Amino acid sequence: MPCYTTRLLIILAAASIFSSVSHGQTVAPTPSAKEQAAPEVAHVPDFSGSWAVVGGAPSWDPSDPRGAKPDELPMTPWALERFKAARPPFGANATFDAVNDPVQKYCDPPGITRLYAYPWQFALIQAPGVVYMLYEFTGLWRPIWLDREHPKSPDSTWMGDSIGRYEGDTLVVDTIGLNDKTWIDQVGHPHSDALHLIERFRRVDQDILEVTVTFDDPKAYTKPFTGKRVFKRSSSPMEVTLCSLSEMQSFDDEVMKSTTVTPKK
Amino acid sequence: MKSKRSIAFCFAAGLLLIAIPISAHHGTSGYDMEKVITLNGTVTIFNWSNPHCLIHIDVKDSKGDMKDWILELAAPTLMTRNGWTKDSLKPGDEVVAETHPAKNGATTGLSGASTSLLKFVVNGHALPFH
Repeated sequence: MPCYTTRLLIILAAASIFSSVSHGQTVAPTPSAKEQAAPEVAHVPDFSGSWAVVGGAPSWDPSDPRGAKPDELPMTPWALERFKAARPPFGANATFDAVNDPVQKYCDPPGITRLYAYPWQFALIQAPGVVYMLYEFTGLWRPIWLDREHPKSPDSTWMGDSIGRYEGDTLVVDTIGLNDKTWIDQVGHPHSDALHLIERFRRVDQDILEVTVTFDDPKAYTKPFTGKRVFKRSSSPMEVTLCSLSEMQSFDDEVMKSTTVTPKK
Repeated sequence: MKSKRSIAFCFAAGLLLIAIPISAHHGTSGYDMEKVITLNGTVTIFNWSNPHCLIHIDVKDSKGDMKDWILELAAPTLMTRNGWTKDSLKPGDEVVAETHPAKNGATTGLSGASTSLLKFVVNGHALPFH
């Protein structure tokens, strides 16, 4: 090939490359249909931090948070029977050594709403499509799914099935699929596997988190009720406190058995 | 109930929360929370473990007999947040300890919970309390 032809081809090739590059830099690629339909990113409230309970409220009865009159929470006959059989560690019916508290006796998971009563922290880890709630006490955690509905027939589990959505500055969490093996609080109020919980998390300011819980359980309670708890942001890092049956038994043998109080009932 | 350490918080929203001495994993009804006694003795065991840290103290009673007192504190995580460590006490330490005694007269007591911690003076130095 003659020399000038080679040079021309090189020049044309370079021009072509330059042209395509410059063409790519000056003209934006046509967005795909999905990209065109993508909504603007909504504001997501920030719940970061470790949250510690403020004060002590052993009962979820909004009119009696200290549990002085725990039998006055309007229960169905089914629930009242279970409540009367409970020997809880706190409230008016408290007993010390003769409890049948499933957490104290068996290290059973405390359940979502009872966890708020313990003096340990929790954290909300917000990720795309899900919020993970981590609890120090007994090392529990649960996912709150933001991008799906409840299964049509969820299993009955200790932590249930939680879905959530952001409403302005509030995270609203809807939970069903809870087994009936936990107490809702420290004074022995029961619940059934039909319990439907609505939790609302709202960060009042940098250091205060309000959690409002609505209990809707027609099998156990004659009407829904709502309580509120307040949490303060803690400077202590999250640490796990596990529940060990062997440690509980050892403590029971060493302290509880010698420090006995006759139950009232 | 008027605990020595009870604290009341009033929020602008009108929600009244009262700090209750929460022992955390069990109740406090076995102890006389209205009463605080002071024990003088020697630490024999300091058990820094769940569910509650325990201190064993040899204390001479009114008859001169040595008794093993077991004082209950909060769980290690909570005690750390109260400013204690697993080395805050050790066997052989001379201690002046406050406690809510058992109602039934047993040599056990509750000295620390999540929201309250009675005073311990160890070898002349006070540990954090509130």
